[in-house]
Amino acid sequence: MMAVGISGYGIYIPRFRIKREEYAKAWGSFSAAGVTEKSVFGFDEDALTAAAKVTRRALESVPMEADMVTRFALATTSAPYLEKLLSGTVLVSVGIPNSAFTSDHTSSTRAGTEAMLAAFEHVMATQSGKAVVAAADAPKASMWDAVEHAFGAGAAAFVISSDNLIAELEGHFSYASEHFGERFKPKDDPLVRDLNVKKFAEGSVVRNTTSAGSALLKKLGRKPEDYQHVVIQQPDARVPVTVASRLKFTDAQLASSLVSKTLGDLGAASVPVALASALDAAKAGDRIMVISYGSGAGSDALSFKVVTDKKATVRVQADTERREYIDYVKYLKIKGAIQ
Amino acid sequence: MKKVAIVGAGQSRYGDFPDKGIKELFFEAYKDMISSVDNGIDPKSIESAYIGNLGSGGFQLGNMSALVTEYCGLTHLNTMRIENACASGGYAIIAAAMDVLSGAHEVVLAGGVEKMTDVSGMKQKYWLGVSGDTEYERLAGTTFAGLYALMAQRHMHEFGTKREQLSMVAVKNHKNGAQNPKAQFQREITMEQALKGPIVAHPLNLFDCCSTTDGASALIICDADMAKKYTDTPVYVAGFGGASDFLAIHDRVSTVALEGTKRAAAAAYKMSGLSPKDIQTAEVHDCFTIAELLAYEDLGFCEKGKGGQYMEEGHTKLDGDRPVNASGGLKSKGHPIGSTGTGMAYEMFNQLRGTIQKPARQVKGAEVGLIHNVGGSGGTVAVSILRR
Amino acid sequence: MAHVSVPMYWRTIPQRYKLIGYKCKKCGAVNFPPKGVCKQCQSSSEFEETHLSGRGKVHTFVLISAGGAPPEFAEQEKAGGQYPVAIVELEEGPKVIGQIADIDPKEVKIGMPVRTELRKIYTEEEVIRYGFKFVPA
Repeated sequence: MMAVGISGYGIYIPRFRIKREEYAKAWGSFSAAGVTEKSVFGFDEDALTAAAKVTRRALESVPMEADMVTRFALATTSAPYLEKLLSGTVLVSVGIPNSAFTSDHTSSTRAGTEAMLAAFEHVMATQSGKAVVAAADAPKASMWDAVEHAFGAGAAAFVISSDNLIAELEGHFSYASEHFGERFKPKDDPLVRDLNVKKFAEGSVVRNTTSAGSALLKKLGRKPEDYQHVVIQQPDARVPVTVASRLKFTDAQLASSLVSKTLGDLGAASVPVALASALDAAKAGDRIMVISYGSGAGSDALSFKVVTDKKATVRVQADTERREYIDYVKYLKIKGAIQ
Repeated sequence: MKKVAIVGAGQSRYGDFPDKGIKELFFEAYKDMISSVDNGIDPKSIESAYIGNLGSGGFQLGNMSALVTEYCGLTHLNTMRIENACASGGYAIIAAAMDVLSGAHEVVLAGGVEKMTDVSGMKQKYWLGVSGDTEYERLAGTTFAGLYALMAQRHMHEFGTKREQLSMVAVKNHKNGAQNPKAQFQREITMEQALKGPIVAHPLNLFDCCSTTDGASALIICDADMAKKYTDTPVYVAGFGGASDFLAIHDRVSTVALEGTKRAAAAAYKMSGLSPKDIQTAEVHDCFTIAELLAYEDLGFCEKGKGGQYMEEGHTKLDGDRPVNASGGLKSKGHPIGSTGTGMAYEMFNQLRGTIQKPARQVKGAEVGLIHNVGGSGGTVAVSILRR
Repeated sequence: MAHVSVPMYWRTIPQRYKLIGYKCKKCGAVNFPPKGVCKQCQSSSEFEETHLSGRGKVHTFVLISAGGAPPEFAEQEKAGGQYPVAIVELEEGPKVIGQIADIDPKEVKIGMPVRTELRKIYTEEEVIRYGFKFVPA
């Protein structure tokens, strides 16, 4: 079977940061476990502007002209419109042909891997196909809600094809189930809710991620120690540690991708940005296990083998270090939280 | 060829008048104009009226010239609104002059009126930005303060123009305006105040910017052959010129010159047979302090790039060799958009006849004066040269 | 406050999203945004489309404060403070105005290299108007 995989990638971390201390000053506490600071979009940015930026960066990293792209998949949980084709904005701005098939993946934080799998399916079905997946997110909740504390902002895009591979897809496995009451948006409200039934919610995360992860290991006949890197959905910086240990992955395997410590919860872009961070650190021959999670609930597990030492031009680390700290009042203003 | 003369000129007070609308403001200027005609004038002899107006906040976009003139008892006129943004008044003069020169009419009114303070703060700002390039300049987040700041920044960069030199314009014009009983701001400001105003669009601060103003002005323009019937001291329109340019600054050849000013001035100089050295005093369009420095250069009062130095050397102060904006200019007298051009002519009419109310700002012995009226950031410019 | 209608904005999408310039077939000057007749030679109305790089240098700039922001941009100024607007000379020749994003306003200098990227320009009638802004290159 033809090898398909990641031929290029690009990331973007917005410049603004807010520290956990700012929350502690404003609210008396900060609820995002293990997160010391997080990234924030500027007033004039959103999922679509960030998606356009990472799509361009991913194509430049190959390099590939935008007019070669035949499939574009966008993932976000913070769409600027509840109804309207979102991918069109990015497609036109980047110069992807109007004839490319596009899809918008928006209903859970699993959207990032959902879009990646859609792209892989396209390339597997059409050998000459070139797909781009862009995940960009800045989840939004009421400032009164503790679930808001973790929400950061960031984006990553991948060029998926069968040429010039950086990392080859070895296999994937998905798991879906029925859960509710954890992270959701009721109809007619664009803000994330969480009923905060803690152990119940954690149970869903663990069950879906470990089910997908262990099934994929079994399918590929692998053990956790066969992997140098593991990338797990990061609603905060503690959940991925919990999931990793349940699957018998170590903190060392998690280290290259644990971006939530300084960026917060990147929603649908969490796994994509974390995967880019792992790719930045990986050497040829390394294996990367990827496990996403979306509330409601479901997980996708993907296994990659890194085949070259080629890297993206802009590293996650470099963009993370480029930052300007803001206070909580400015945060409220640029988040549009003051009515 | 025929010649054109101004035989009467009137102006309302400029300022913020909650009790007056455009009709009342225009009527105030109209009455002042009628009473300024030394030998009297029968209003029925006025055949045409050209009224400069931008939009008065949008409430009467149609038929406004008939509205303000019927309020004055004139219902027989060939009348029209002239709209070229802030240069509307300057173009009303050109339209009136052309009407007389064509032989179509002998006695013509050129006026202007604007009511800017009736609307909310947000609407005011909306109306302030509607005469530039809407699609790109406005949607880059600028109003005119921002556009003139772009010119100021580049002027400072290319020619070493100093921040203080911009403020000197504000200090000078406020000093003159303090002596003008019809000015909006009849008070002097210090150099320190002028330098330390709140930033509006860096490098421009509040004291670099003119205000929003209610006001009106009106002139009686007639065939020069019949001028002596109305007064022994008519003021002649020796030359005029109007010129357009690209609306957006980024489309222009230069960001440190208004080509519209250069072209309009060249036409006015040519028609009058005069040159910059003949201009003894001028009213120029100082909507922002940098605009006055650009005007010195583009009207030929000094070399390109030397506007700041020309200001600093004092040439344009009341006691200088070529006083500019003896009225206080847009900065202190006020800038009721549609009225500004004809208001400049009102000032020059009185300067050249020696009839300025307060002797303190009477320019001594001037026989030739120039008025310079800019629309937007230079998309249209009207220049007229007046001679006693 | 209807200011720039949706169709009026839509007509400029080739410029705002993709930086499509128009090269005069007679004198070679790139017109951006487009003109009916070439703004340089003022004699030809035949152009060929060209995709501009979006790279250029700051020709002049202004920092807009509260008093200088139009109503559509008042919220941006209130939320983020002073914002820079520049006239940028693009490497293909034309100058064009735009905001500079992703920079501390104090860092903006004449001559600094910048490039375009897609940003939210403003929102009107609940429709987000996207378009290019400049960012440090």
